[in-house]
This record gives sequence, structure tokens and C-alpha cells, in this order.
Amino acid sequence: MSSPLNIAVVVGSIRKDSYNRRFAEALAKLAPEGVKFNFLRIDDLPHYDQDDDGDNAPEVRRLKAEVEAADGVLFVTPEYNRSYSGVLKNAIDQASRPYGQAKWKGKPAAIVTVSYGPLSGAMAAQHLRNVLAVLDMPTLNQPEMYIQWKDGLVDEQGNVGPASKDFAQNFVDTFVAWVRRFKH
Amino acid sequence: MSQKTVAVVVGSIRKESFNRQFAEALVKQFPAELKAQFIRIDDLPLYNQDDDGNPAPQVTRLRGEIKAADAVLFVTAEYNRSIPGVLKNAIDHASRPWGQSVWAGKPAGVVGVSVGAIGTSLAQQHLRNVLAYLDMPTLGQPEMFLQWKEGLVQDGAIGPDSKEFVQKYVDAFAAWVKKQA
Repeated sequence: MSSPLNIAVVVGSIRKDSYNRRFAEALAKLAPEGVKFNFLRIDDLPHYDQDDDGDNAPEVRRLKAEVEAADGVLFVTPEYNRSYSGVLKNAIDQASRPYGQAKWKGKPAAIVTVSYGPLSGAMAAQHLRNVLAVLDMPTLNQPEMYIQWKDGLVDEQGNVGPASKDFAQNFVDTFVAWVRRFKH
Repeated sequence: MSQKTVAVVVGSIRKESFNRQFAEALVKQFPAELKAQFIRIDDLPLYNQDDDGNPAPQVTRLRGEIKAADAVLFVTAEYNRSIPGVLKNAIDHASRPWGQSVWAGKPAGVVGVSVGAIGTSLAQQHLRNVLAYLDMPTLGQPEMFLQWKEGLVQDGAIGPDSKEFVQKYVDAFAAWVKKQA
């Protein structure tokens, strides 16, 4: 019997019907028993301002506590202008400060990108990988998940559609095993 | 001789930001044909595509200012080996809705200051990738990877050790802007 896992999910688009959110929620349904995907709220965070380091807003404290409590982190981001979204980077910056007190450190991570273009967010993922490296987050290499949004990717019940189901399940299983590797 | 407006976008919003102090000192060395306009980004909402049809007044202001500018100078901090989320958020805002980016074609420069020795070089690399996509012709040389040190800015002006280097940059940037205009 495997021990329970708490995986924080950070979605880089905050619009209501975000493709990234819908896909992330569908992925979460593929989680094995005992593995919880906890979606973190980032749309109410203030802009990171070093002057607030000593006196964080409650939303920032909430984010930091949730990241700290997580066994692993799944980033699901759109690509804006050939990089990750500013909204996502702001959340990352917030939980990385003050200097030397990053909450991300050591948390195993994976990156999923969803976009409607054929590049599927791959360039956003590359920039994000650079950032996760400095945050010292061991990041899953394979399988890569650059997803082009298409009708049927997520069905009406919110599940990953039949064409992508095996691929998505393999990703989730591989990621969960990756996270377990770092849990002591 | 017509004066060109350079929108100056500073990627750190703290009050005593080294990048802001440096930017304010740098623009004092602008030649007469360049005029600096500092762009406010700290009061922008987080970019949300749902608001594309009904942007906040701060977003409309940002888009108007960039549209009116002849060039853009990005002065960026480096957070986690990349650009600050605050700066990327401003870039995202003025790039949307899709197909209506106000950045396209504006000549740009990228500089940055950090306390570390690599002087924002990795943030600038990421930013250059983004500016390429936004179709902003970006000055290649000289590069400006600056380490913040006592005396870099003195009484609001560039200190004597860096003055010449900064002037060289400013002159190259001014020529670049002229060429693209």
C-alpha cells in the first residue's frame, strides 16, 4: 500500500475556461488512489515587491504554506509570447523569496503546456525548465507534455479524451513515481 | 530634429530598486533627440484573457503609452535566472488581444542590474527570446550586464567608473532607434 501524496498544481492561465485548467483537472482524475492534486490559487496574489518581504500579504502566506506542504509540484502553463505567463512567474517569484527561503527547493516537479498552436507551449516549457533548475526542483524529463488543444482532448465529463488517454495516464503514473522517489 | 520618446520599463517595483535608480541615472545621459518616459507597471492587474474585451484603465493606459512611444528600453532585474513575473505580466498585457500587440516594430534595448556577478544576463536572454517573438528589433551590442556596486549611481547620476560605458550604450541605442524609425 503506497503512502498518500500531495501534489500541488499551479496553472499559469487564470481565465475561467482556461484550456490549461481544464486539461489539468482532467489529468488530476487519472491520479492513482491516495494521490491528491491540490490546485493552488494564484490569481489573487499581489505583484512581487521586495519591499513586502518582511510583511507578506495573506495570499502570499497561503501560497507559501501550500507549496511547503506539497510532496511535488505540477506546473501547467500556456505560452504567452514564447515564454511562460507573467502570472505564473509572479507566483513562482513570490514563493521563492525572501532570498534563501524558497519554498520550491527540492520539490520534484513536472511541466505540462497546453496551447492551441502546433508548438503546443514547448518554448514556455523550456524557459520554465531554466527557472526550475535554479530553484533546485528535480524536474521530470520524459515524457514531455506539450499538448495542442483540440476538440475532444477533454470530453464533456471533464475526462481526458480517448485519443490522449493512454499518453496522459502514462505521464501521470511516471510523474507520481518521480515524486515518490523523493519522498522519505 | 524631432524628438523620439523612449518608453522605459523597469522590471522591479520596489521603492529603492537598483534597476530604477540605474535607469533614472542612465536616461540623464540621453542625447537631446531622445526623451524618456517611465512606464508604470506596478498597478496592472494580472493578465486574464477574459478581460481582453474590457481591459482595466491601467491596461488601457499602458497600451496607449507603448503605442505612442518610438522605442522601448527594458531595465530588468533577474529573479530566479529569468525576468520578473511583474515585467512579463506587463509585456503580456500590451501584447493582447491576439493580433493587436502594441510592441510590434518598436526598437528596443535590454539592460539590467543585479547584486550578483552575472548581472541579469540570464534574465536578458529570456527577454530577448520574447522580444524576438514580439517583432521588436533589439540592439545587440553593447550588452549591459551590470553588477550593483557602491558608486554605480552617485547623487542620481552614473558614477565616474561607468559613465563612459553607459554613454557608449546610450549613443548606440540612440543610433539604433534612429535607424528603425
